[in-house]
Amino acid sequence: MFARQSVARLAAQQAHRHGAAPQNARNMATLREIELRLKSVRNIEKITKSMKMIASTKLAKAQRAMIAGKQYGIANSEIFDHTPSETPAKRKLFIVVSSDKGLCGGIHSSVSKATRRAIADTENPVDADSPIMVIGDKSKAQLARALGKNLTLTFNQIGRDIPTFADAAGVADLIVKSGVEYDSIALVYNKFVSAISYEAGIVEVANENTFKESPGFRAYEMEDDVTKDLAEFSLANAIYAALVEAHACEQSARRNAMDNASKNAKDMIGTLTMQYNRGRQAAITNELVDIITGASAL
Amino acid sequence: MSTTWRGVFTYNKYAQITARAVRQSMKEMERLGAERRGVTALRYQKWENGVGGNQEYLNPEEDKAPGKPCV
Repeated sequence: MFARQSVARLAAQQAHRHGAAPQNARNMATLREIELRLKSVRNIEKITKSMKMIASTKLAKAQRAMIAGKQYGIANSEIFDHTPSETPAKRKLFIVVSSDKGLCGGIHSSVSKATRRAIADTENPVDADSPIMVIGDKSKAQLARALGKNLTLTFNQIGRDIPTFADAAGVADLIVKSGVEYDSIALVYNKFVSAISYEAGIVEVANENTFKESPGFRAYEMEDDVTKDLAEFSLANAIYAALVEAHACEQSARRNAMDNASKNAKDMIGTLTMQYNRGRQAAITNELVDIITGASAL
Repeated sequence: MSTTWRGVFTYNKYAQITARAVRQSMKEMERLGAERRGVTALRYQKWENGVGGNQEYLNPEEDKAPGKPCV
């Protein structure tokens, strides 16, 4: 009976010791891993928090610029409201407005998806080879994969700071100079719904020929040269309004994305700290048990 | 005055040239504010058949000589 008991105790002790050493070692190893993870997640939280601060201040400035710039777009669209075109545009040129920088949520993919939907639309069909021009490297990469054959011209280095009218005029100038044929232009950009939400929208800009054919426009009795100037200038106006609004959307999306990232990082820090403390206390307890059993065996 | 620029460049380019002239003729204080509104570092790239060409600057880097403000 005693032999059985002592064998059982020996076996238990052996198991405990066999379990203890590698378990202790495993705990120690995971403790170090948890410590490293904790340090890196803390750094990430600092970075995302500072990015959120920066994006908030940029958002305030961008919103002011957007309110001012939208007036250009509204004044522009007044002409189009008075001169609706009779025939639906067959050949549309898509101008996609996004930016070069990432870490801003779903801004770029929302605009790219809207473009792909518009091209695949069956209600208002457009040519499958409609030309596409992209402002911004991120959407350019996405669309080059999906609709690479349609790309004609791409622009970048816009959106680092508040977009200026010089940017928009340069873009419009290059579009007209490129000699691409189109009946009308569809400007795809993110509309600013609120500081926490945006949605992709399409705005149509008319071509010079569409102007001339529209009956409402003939009431203005303008010369051809001036009509061409007006079409080019209104294109630059529309692009400016879209650029400025898309910039504000991007800042707000980046602020929200960094805010979510900071919250997630904080949660992770909480759970990791718990794990770390539990592991530390378990290691200490195991060591104590070893010492005590060792002492009691003496 | 016959407008001979129409055959050479677009209205937007014409507007930007005249804007640059106006900016360079402003007094120092106002000129600094206006210069900021005229800054553009635009780069563009032509695409053929899904392959992009070279990236070119719209305004290649020129010697920046300080504009002469009006006295």
